[in-house]
Amino acid sequence: MASTNDGASPALGATLTASNDSNAPGSTTPSRSTQNKEGVSSAVGTFGVKSGLAQMLKSGVIMDVINAEQARIAEEAGACAVMALERVPADIRAQGGVARMSDPKMIKEIVDAVTIPVMAKVRIGHFVEAQILQAIGIDYIDESEVLTPADEAHHIMKHNFRVPFVCGATSLGEALRRISEGAAMIRTKGEAGTGNIVEAVRHARAVNTEIKRISNMSEEELYAYAKEIQAPFHLLKETARLKRLPVVSFAAGGIATPADAALMMQLGCDGVFVGSGIFHSGDPARRARAIVQAVTHYQNPKILAEVSEDLGDAMVGLTINDDIKGGRLAKRGW
Amino acid sequence: MNKITVGVLALQGGFHEHLNTLAKLKVADSSAAYVTIVPQAVKTPEDLSLCDALIIPGGESTTIALLARLSGLLELLKEYEKPIWGTCAGAILLSRQVVGTKKGGQEVLAKMDVKVGRNGWGSQVESFEADLTVKGMKDESRPFKGVFIRAPVILSLLPTTPGQPPVEIVARLPDEITPSHESAPFSAVDALGICVPSTPGYLPTPPNEREVSAQPEDLRHLVALRQGNHLLTTFHPELTRDDRFHELFVREFVLPSLPEAKE
Repeated sequence: MASTNDGASPALGATLTASNDSNAPGSTTPSRSTQNKEGVSSAVGTFGVKSGLAQMLKSGVIMDVINAEQARIAEEAGACAVMALERVPADIRAQGGVARMSDPKMIKEIVDAVTIPVMAKVRIGHFVEAQILQAIGIDYIDESEVLTPADEAHHIMKHNFRVPFVCGATSLGEALRRISEGAAMIRTKGEAGTGNIVEAVRHARAVNTEIKRISNMSEEELYAYAKEIQAPFHLLKETARLKRLPVVSFAAGGIATPADAALMMQLGCDGVFVGSGIFHSGDPARRARAIVQAVTHYQNPKILAEVSEDLGDAMVGLTINDDIKGGRLAKRGW
Repeated sequence: MNKITVGVLALQGGFHEHLNTLAKLKVADSSAAYVTIVPQAVKTPEDLSLCDALIIPGGESTTIALLARLSGLLELLKEYEKPIWGTCAGAILLSRQVVGTKKGGQEVLAKMDVKVGRNGWGSQVESFEADLTVKGMKDESRPFKGVFIRAPVILSLLPTTPGQPPVEIVARLPDEITPSHESAPFSAVDALGICVPSTPGYLPTPPNEREVSAQPEDLRHLVALRQGNHLLTTFHPELTRDDRFHELFVREFVLPSLPEAKE
């Protein structure tokens, strides 16, 4: 995230691909490459194709759906991808209990219903849930704080997978730690299921401010700052050079209106996730389409006014404080 | 013609990457003078009217078509006569027939006489990179890295629309690379076809033409095609730092289409 939506740099793979440690727990089949006798080479699961898919999702809206019918509504409304899950965050918050990966059968029904990419969530650190989702051919995995964390110290080693991952981040250090583990896409960790944009704005602003600071730092200062925010030096240096995060960065958490979506785009996000905000509103199809248009035309207030008209009731929002039912999810993740 | 405006449809997808590549691109015209290239993001009919040519980027073809209709661009694009290059989702939009559309079908611009299958290699875990040889490209002996992300495949070449030039092959994958995973939705049988004869100079391997037309080939190996002033690539040249495909588009498609060039 930076002040311009300049697109992540191409050819990220060289800088960002860490070596695969195939002895690490949770390692599955990493990228395979072949080279034939004429020197023709090809490779699947490279960091280039993982971050490349995120680049194709840019200026798009990724919508939470809980069944094939909702997935079809999202596709017709112009979603660039859907997130398949059993309960939207607002319901996870209301109902409580341990939230886990969704039933693969339900995810496969959604995959069969639509042609756009399908994402699904795994618990933080739960690399077996990720192996399962990779085996059923999901397009993107969200290692998400919305589900109950499975590991209080470790995130998944995401370089070991052919399927790409998106992870949440509240600050630059957290974003770069996730990228270092192999995340090919970053999102804010706005308080999911609240319909309240304030936390997502806080995270986007925090990352923007830090990027502005580091872009004027000397190399010595970058070393010191990398230590302070617990981020790998080479990723911090690359971020300073690009003046934005080195992977695609979306807004997520609390987006309920077209204006919320355009706000996050103007703050430099590359696209938005909308969770409970669509299917907990009065007219999901109409609101979904309006948010899609708002993301494309985020700099055009006239179009934003047109698409914001007559959308029916927005989801009921929650004030975010320490007593919030379901707790503050953004604190999950390390 | 020392200044041209190249538009990039900026509704959804990887349009910044195309705009960034165009902003740095250097192309020499026939008199070896550099052409000034002005990149233009296209979100409205007014933006489109500024352009000498258009690139339709990768993204989701369903989303891009919907937003084009809602923005009043879809009908204008169907009638657009200037050069268009579609990458990935853009290639789907340029094709006359699409297989594997969303339920109820989807809108296309129908500019090229080809039938494509969406997500022809399967899901994201089958996305790949492969080295390609592209005829007519600058520094041709150096391979061009094709980045294929949930890429469409060519299933057949349709009868040429009356008044249109034939479809030409610009690049194909090496034979060794074939969709094999069980999630690949189209089998080789779906894509067996006879290649139309190509203009010399554009065929990657100058073959004995009779041999080629006698042997049906798996058309899924065709990854870049030309028909008149339309170009489609099923992969993403904008995701690499190599700008030779953009150079090829401007030099071979855009410059010859300008009014001054036709005089």
